[in-house]
Amino acid sequence: MGNREIAIEMKGIHKIYPDGVIALRDVDFVVYKGEIHGLLGENGAGKTTLMRILYGEIKPTRGIIKIFGKKVKFHGPWDAIRHGIGMVYQQFTLVPTFTVEENLYLSYVSIEPKATVKDVREKAMKLMDELGFKVPLNAVVETLPVGIQQRVEIIKTLLRNARVLILDEPTSVLTPIETKELFNALRKLKEAGITIIFITHKLREVKEITDRVTVLRRGRRVGTVATDEVTQKDLARMMVEREVVFKIVRKPKEPGQPVFVVKDLWVRDDRGLMAVKGVSFELRKGEILGLAGVQGNGQRELAEALAGIRFIDKGEIYLYGEDITRLTASKRYSLGLAYVPDSRRIGLVYDMNIVENTVLTNMYRVITRTRRIKWGLASKYAKEVIDKLEVIAPGITSPIKYLSGGNQQKVMVGREIIREPTVFIVAEPTQGLDVGATEFIRKTLLSLRDQDKAILLISTDLDEIMQLSDRIAVIFEGKIMAMGKPEEFTLERLGLLMGGVIESQED
Amino acid sequence: MSPRKIKYRLALVTMKTRIAFVIEKIRIKYIDYLTAALEIILSATVGFLIAAILLYFMGYNPYEVFGVLFRYGYGNISYLLSKSVPYIMTAMAFSIPLIAGVFNIGGESQLYVGAFTALLVSYYTANPVLGLLAGIIAGGGLGLFISILRLYRNINEVIAAIMINWTMYFLLVYLLTGIFHDPKISHQSIQVPESAWLGELLSPWGRIKISFILAVIGAIVMYYILYYTNLGYLLRVSGLSPLSARYAGYNPNKAVLCSMLLGGAMAGLGGALLIIGDVHSIDTTMSTLYGFGFTGIGIGLLGRNHPIGIIFAAIFFSGLLIGGQWVELKTGAPPQLTDTIIGIIVIALAIPYAYRMLISIVRRWRMK
Amino acid sequence: MIEDIINMMTNTFTTMTPLVLAGVGEIITERSGVVNIGLEGIFILSSFAAAVVTFYTGNPYLGLLVGILVGALSGVLHGFVSVYLRGDQIIAGVGYNSLAYGLSLMMLIALWQDYGKSPKVEKIPSISIQVTEGSIIIISPITILAIFIAIGVWWWLFKTSSGLKLRACGEDPRAAEAMGVNVFRTRFYATVLGTILTGIGGAYLVVGWTGRFTKFISAGRGFIALANVAFSNWNPLMAIVGGFVFGFFDALSIYLPIKLQIESGEIFTAESNLFSTIPYVATLVIVAIIMKKIKTPRALGKPYIKE
Repeated sequence: MGNREIAIEMKGIHKIYPDGVIALRDVDFVVYKGEIHGLLGENGAGKTTLMRILYGEIKPTRGIIKIFGKKVKFHGPWDAIRHGIGMVYQQFTLVPTFTVEENLYLSYVSIEPKATVKDVREKAMKLMDELGFKVPLNAVVETLPVGIQQRVEIIKTLLRNARVLILDEPTSVLTPIETKELFNALRKLKEAGITIIFITHKLREVKEITDRVTVLRRGRRVGTVATDEVTQKDLARMMVEREVVFKIVRKPKEPGQPVFVVKDLWVRDDRGLMAVKGVSFELRKGEILGLAGVQGNGQRELAEALAGIRFIDKGEIYLYGEDITRLTASKRYSLGLAYVPDSRRIGLVYDMNIVENTVLTNMYRVITRTRRIKWGLASKYAKEVIDKLEVIAPGITSPIKYLSGGNQQKVMVGREIIREPTVFIVAEPTQGLDVGATEFIRKTLLSLRDQDKAILLISTDLDEIMQLSDRIAVIFEGKIMAMGKPEEFTLERLGLLMGGVIESQED
Repeated sequence: MSPRKIKYRLALVTMKTRIAFVIEKIRIKYIDYLTAALEIILSATVGFLIAAILLYFMGYNPYEVFGVLFRYGYGNISYLLSKSVPYIMTAMAFSIPLIAGVFNIGGESQLYVGAFTALLVSYYTANPVLGLLAGIIAGGGLGLFISILRLYRNINEVIAAIMINWTMYFLLVYLLTGIFHDPKISHQSIQVPESAWLGELLSPWGRIKISFILAVIGAIVMYYILYYTNLGYLLRVSGLSPLSARYAGYNPNKAVLCSMLLGGAMAGLGGALLIIGDVHSIDTTMSTLYGFGFTGIGIGLLGRNHPIGIIFAAIFFSGLLIGGQWVELKTGAPPQLTDTIIGIIVIALAIPYAYRMLISIVRRWRMK
Repeated sequence: MIEDIINMMTNTFTTMTPLVLAGVGEIITERSGVVNIGLEGIFILSSFAAAVVTFYTGNPYLGLLVGILVGALSGVLHGFVSVYLRGDQIIAGVGYNSLAYGLSLMMLIALWQDYGKSPKVEKIPSISIQVTEGSIIIISPITILAIFIAIGVWWWLFKTSSGLKLRACGEDPRAAEAMGVNVFRTRFYATVLGTILTGIGGAYLVVGWTGRFTKFISAGRGFIALANVAFSNWNPLMAIVGGFVFGFFDALSIYLPIKLQIESGEIFTAESNLFSTIPYVATLVIVAIIMKKIKTPRALGKPYIKE
């Protein structure tokens, strides 16, 4: 390890945001040339921030950066690109309405201003041959599946003569099969001498692909180790610095009557394409049905259709035997349905305070016949939410944007709980939350189930699905691939189903 | 240390932390009000500063000019309040749709039709109440029309509003010069009969015109609707976060339609109040009605899009206008000065981010 | 009849010029992601500046130059507020319009003590083309310039790499930034370039068309230019067509009452106002028809915020 060339060296990096949040505190980060270096940490640990500083997107408040031994100061991504650093984000930086070729040309032209479209096309085809993965050059980017778009991103950065490739949670949008293909490609790149930094929060991936791994926690570097020398448990401990409880205890329970029945549901997405294709299932009292699947396979459209905020093309929904298919969302909420969306931007109004946010789905409980809002009663409900969910907030009248993500999530879930609905539809309830909040929300969901509620849990987190569900279903491209008890599924089987592999009848 | 001293120190520390805690709570509770107030004061100051520089370069004494402005502008309470009426209404015409996320710059034409229908109805029925109602309906209808164009033909409401503004302008000039002109007085329309005029009320501060009282009532009603009813909540959520509005089960179209209906109705009422309560006729070049809609936009922003704030902003602005007229008499400086100040203030108000950036820079400097 | 058509063509060439210039200018600006509804204000200020300079120097070309300068300065202001200060672009535009209107009136009174119009100034000479005996089409060199500019801008936007970069800023600024495009700088320059073209249009109103500055010299034309931008589907070539269409109705509203008065022998002052509504109603109707079929740049009007 002594004589290896250092590709990236970051020393003493501090990042303090204008509103006072300290994202990184005195972080050192060293990457050797030609290695695959994992950057591990929970959500909010600072991994993405550190890499964005390396990529020149953000300026560090303090600290030094050296690229292949040369000290640098970046004023923007174009500086970093010129030094051979390429970044592939979780959300792609492709212009969705342009073609692949136009995107590649656009990015290449910043390095070689005199290049023509033909030059780019030739170079791209050569690269695709070498790497063994292809992309259709003339397709409009937004029509391509996510896995292919990611490939375009990678090719794009390689075209710019990137010597260091930074990948930010690349597998979060991939099926297990696409992930395997990605890892193969990464190994090929490593052979070609490219240095790779792999940001992730998934321990399994760290063990599978990285040579060394740096762990960040709450903006500080906890340590850097060689991957072979540690176990997943060690890494987990470094991430949270306490013994992680990998299992939440779920008491066995006999499910009750079916209260929520969905029959042959067909729903379109915003582009007019069919996103949900003939989904049927039922929810029973006192049971959690976990819907597993990679993001973008129709979950959002399904949840919105069930909640009543998306138009249903075909099919029916029954709540306690009543057909609610044609009812509006507010009517369904008043009948005992609750929906917690996967995005806090949708579920909450950031500029409004806790009381006003509580009213969002509790309107029917605080309104008089003359359409007047009883703010006194609303405040009482808001206080109930704060008590029940242990929300930490500066005050009941302060805008909800001043709360932490976990507390915001608690408000979103809490205001549904106090309505005492029968059916809960919850999407990604612990996304972006720290371990403490995650545990709290999961325990809350289980207690709801113990209180005989029927819950549909939509989540991309397989551990969450396995821990909490009484039954599991897998969705892929708008269809339910399989449904059964958690004992019938291994992680491998789930992965295959999520990736669209149809099982043969004889199993 | 003696036990008494220790006790004393402890009590002091606890009291200090308690006070700090209370101050922190107050700070968080009122920080939004404070920032809003700061922004308003800052932009008004910037406006006046630039105006002062302009005056100086044009050869006038800013100190003298501002002196006349404030002394004569705010001297006569009754006149001041009555002049502020159309501004209160057109400001609300812009602000209420803005709260719902819609740009209504059609307040100009909504006021025109409100004034015109009020004129006609009160002329033929001699009933002020009917006149006011006609104005409300006309203005509201025009506002609704713009929202329908936006929702069902996807027409940008700014372009639609401007086109309607100019169409109504020329249409009304035609009607006023061609058909409804006063045979006895040239360049003026038919008049509102005296029996339909709105009068005044006596108060400890002087005589207050009924039109002002009605305007204030209108503002209070709007305030109540916005902050105490289901509809107002729908408008506010739709403007702040349209996705959340959809999540709550609200029909986004409803917010657009209702807000434009209310906004237009306010502008229409403003025109009606102007005609029935104040000037009683329209001159044939429409100069009586011209410009209220546009300046209303600036006043709406100055009042932070809040009906009560708008009342004060409108009074403040009318004072400037009245004072401006006196300034021309007394010093020879042009009255269009206030138009320019409004323009500057509006631009200044368009950059809230700049203030927040300033505050964060100050905070970072303090941290070092 | 032919005489009427020829006259209408002349008039339409005149009326379409500012619409094409401002339309193409705003296309550049909006394609980069910034919306500037202050076009009306730029028309007013640049036409006023052109009138003043031409009056005092007697040289209309200087007036044109000053119009360009005023346009550029307006662009710097709007660009700064919209791009660097992340201000609300619509409100900034509205404020600018009010400012321009008030400022121009104030200076009109200060300079010439007239509340409605300025004295006459020199105009840039137009080109006359003999079509048939007795009928000539009169076309200003600025009109021809406008058409060439439109074609040039089209070629630049769609056939060069810098045009591609600019369009990327309007579709997905994050992606553009990541591709090495300086979004702030691009948007700023696009705004200034757009306002320069609008400034030419505004100056034209005085030195190429009416020969004097009046209170209602623009009368909403800045907004009709905005409608032209949408009509053209953000394509400069279509902006020429759109300019012609909208300009036609503008010309019609001026020409028709004159023609009718000559034919009937009567003079109508009040009714001429009805004809004045034609361009606005026509614009509204046209926009109503085309609005469903156009594709707006994705990131239009949203300030780009970096951390």
